[in-house]
Amino acid sequence: MVRTTANPSPGGLDDLPGDLMMWVLIISELLVFGAGLAAFLGVRISDPAGFAEARTYLHPTLAGINTVVLITSGFLAARSVDLRQQDRRKTARIALTGAMTLGVVFLVIKAIEYADTAAQGISTETHPFFTFYYLLTGFHAMHVIAGIVILALVAWKDTPRNMEVGTAFWHMVDLVWVLLFPVIYLLA
Amino acid sequence: MTRNPTTNAWLQLLLLSGLSVVLAAGAAGLLDPSVTGVLVLALAWMKARVILSRYLGLWQAPVWQSGFNWVLALYCSLLLALYLIPAFNS
Repeated sequence: MVRTTANPSPGGLDDLPGDLMMWVLIISELLVFGAGLAAFLGVRISDPAGFAEARTYLHPTLAGINTVVLITSGFLAARSVDLRQQDRRKTARIALTGAMTLGVVFLVIKAIEYADTAAQGISTETHPFFTFYYLLTGFHAMHVIAGIVILALVAWKDTPRNMEVGTAFWHMVDLVWVLLFPVIYLLA
Repeated sequence: MTRNPTTNAWLQLLLLSGLSVVLAAGAAGLLDPSVTGVLVLALAWMKARVILSRYLGLWQAPVWQSGFNWVLALYCSLLLALYLIPAFNS
């Protein structure tokens, strides 16, 4: 990502790459998900054994595959900005399309995971673990959907600035997932 | 041949994610869960740092990058403390 604003005061707001409002959004989203994850671990204190048992009903393998999918999607989105700034518009659009496609793959895998969990008779009411699980991963999945729409829009209106701002949203979704994945699926 | 920094970031993220899964799955019986938790959260912090630095471009703003890294480190420490409380209570 290349800075698109001047740098009159090192360390000031102008120093941030991309659009300031996108950073405000990114920080806001991180605060929301951050609070959710902290609450998840906070509630776990009262029932660590129940949380550990509930976790065994999840599919860490599918979530692990989704981590690779999302990280690779983020890579393609970041490359698309590099390519656009080199004026390689067609290749940049192809990279963005790849990023969006992997976003759809993420959602399909997530749907398979939800279907399996639901087939086991697990709902948000089953245990507080699953309340947080559905809430946090579902909210994240909604951001993935929003991110795909945003990537589609910037692939259409593909100015370097649009692409920088649009892909920043996508990276925020990626960032949230790398924190959410270990806390929900890996911490035994 | 030198690789593009974005490609390097991607490879780092894949490596760190793989390590997290191996630690959580493979080392579950070998290591104390508290140790595994520390390592898994440390890897998550490192992944977040890579995304902020390379994907979101904070490498261009070292002051902001340092600030974000510190806040993330404190946040991951909070998560770790919450995770470890039941172990100390038992």
